[in-house]
Amino acid sequence: MHVIEAERLTKRFGEVLAVDEVTFQVREGEIFGFLGPNGAGKTTTINMLITLIRPTKGTAKVAGYDVIREPGKVRKKIGVVFQDPTLDRRLTGWENLYIHGRLYGIPSGELRSKIRELIEFVELKGWENRIVQYYSGGMMRRLEIARALLYNPEILFLDEPTLGLDPQSRAKVWDYIRQIKKEDGMTIFLTTHYMEEAEKLCDRVAIIDHGRIIALGAVEELKSKVGNEIIYLNTSFDGQENIFIDRVRSLDSIRDLKVLKDGIISLSVNNAPETIPRVLKEAQKLGVEIREVRYLRPSLEDVFLQLTGKGLRDEEATFFDHVRMRRIRMRRGGRR
Amino acid sequence: MRTFIRTVHIMWYRQIKRFLRARSRVIGSIVQPIFWLIFFGLGFSGSFRTVPGGINRNLDYLPFLVPGVVMMSVFFGSFMSGISVIWDREFGFLKEVLVAPVPRDATILGRALGDSTTSVIRGILILLLASVLAPSINLAGIPVVLVSMILVALSFTSFGIIIGSKMRSMEGFQLINTFLSMPILFLSGAFYPVQTMPTWMRAIAMINPLTYGVDAARIALTGTGVNSLMVDMIMLLVTSVIFISISAWVFRRTTIE
Repeated sequence: MHVIEAERLTKRFGEVLAVDEVTFQVREGEIFGFLGPNGAGKTTTINMLITLIRPTKGTAKVAGYDVIREPGKVRKKIGVVFQDPTLDRRLTGWENLYIHGRLYGIPSGELRSKIRELIEFVELKGWENRIVQYYSGGMMRRLEIARALLYNPEILFLDEPTLGLDPQSRAKVWDYIRQIKKEDGMTIFLTTHYMEEAEKLCDRVAIIDHGRIIALGAVEELKSKVGNEIIYLNTSFDGQENIFIDRVRSLDSIRDLKVLKDGIISLSVNNAPETIPRVLKEAQKLGVEIREVRYLRPSLEDVFLQLTGKGLRDEEATFFDHVRMRRIRMRRGGRR
Repeated sequence: MRTFIRTVHIMWYRQIKRFLRARSRVIGSIVQPIFWLIFFGLGFSGSFRTVPGGINRNLDYLPFLVPGVVMMSVFFGSFMSGISVIWDREFGFLKEVLVAPVPRDATILGRALGDSTTSVIRGILILLLASVLAPSINLAGIPVVLVSMILVALSFTSFGIIIGSKMRSMEGFQLINTFLSMPILFLSGAFYPVQTMPTWMRAIAMINPLTYGVDAARIALTGTGVNSLMVDMIMLLVTSVIFISISAWVFRRTTIE
């Protein structure tokens, strides 16, 4: 069953076409990722799905409701963690959760126990009565995740959930996301420009660039589109290699074989972990010494590179990240 | 309807909590008007002993000034709360409110009520402190002062919210504030009577909502005033209804962009 159905969703800001006829479906219970560089239209797409901005053209249904005609109903079905913190920094963590819960109509008694449970889930116990201003970036993000889960949403939207977090905080956030999916079966829609994040978390990924989806599918599926895994063999060059090369070439999983200089052979294969022992067996039979084996798996980065001819994180993107993080730090340090 | 009341209540709760957190601001906002009374009021009361207050009645300057300073503090406290809308936009909390499945009118009314509550409480505290400096004021008038304070506060919190929703920067708000708050304050009869102003100034004073708040408070505390209490109250009521409606209308159209 599809819980999100976007049909030629388009958003134009003046002259700029931010999102260009985007069509996709998100299945119930999956983690669906929007992967793309900054400015690709990820946040604009999320903002349309969560009814914050109106699409210029096209439609989308979230949890069965139309985002244009029934925004109120959509809002009751979703939890959102925005890219930048949306907490009230003058209040405590507990108060932030309480206000959110009351806005969403959770009865006070139920809300209190739910808050206790979620504070424990995101490991902020002992911090709930401190003013948010003194939280670290990772703690704020965790508090926001807790807040988004208060209402038991059907779909959780996460816009760049680990942007600007240190590696430990990032790993924690990933853990929470996996747990939420596993324990609650919640559908999660996330955007990211970290390909590692998309690879590790997402069941299916849409790669978006300049407002258009340029590839969509399961992570493995997308990778196999780019091509194969590549095995590099560092061998002894002793004349028998020609026979060795013929034997290896005849293995059914080998798609391509190239002899590089200094006895290095590169093999393009479908399934490296299965192919490597077979290659080693042939080498042993023929007495070819193999000094070193390496294999490379294509990453989503390579997928992106091949589709767009540029890296996911070019100079510009890192520059904007830098500016954004500075802004967040300034706010945290500054007085309100 | 229940959702509406719940939303108003929780937004009110939030404004109150925030206010209580900002202790230094609370103290400052109480001390400042008291300083006005002492340094401005006591200083001037020596140079003109009496001001023409009402018909056939003259009034010492300090008791004349007390309702003015009290209303000044309510006005500033209320109007400046509009800046919190800009802060919320800047710090993202506005988004949290805008996506919530609640009526926007309720969130904005809750906010206006919350900020009004805090500025009215502050006004009462200042009034009580001021009564020590000017013992001749009639504290039995407090209920009337309270009602007029509430109406002034609702008018000007809503006014602040309207400007805050339209502005994108603190600096913009400060600019508007400078252009509006001085004329509103000085043309309200808070520091000198409306009757002795030049005609053109008096004309502006008569369309200034704060004038009616100051007048109502002055009637209640000293028994002298320009209008009848009834006229003052009706004017304040009409103004606050208009400003609340406009602020709700503006906020309904607020986007995050």
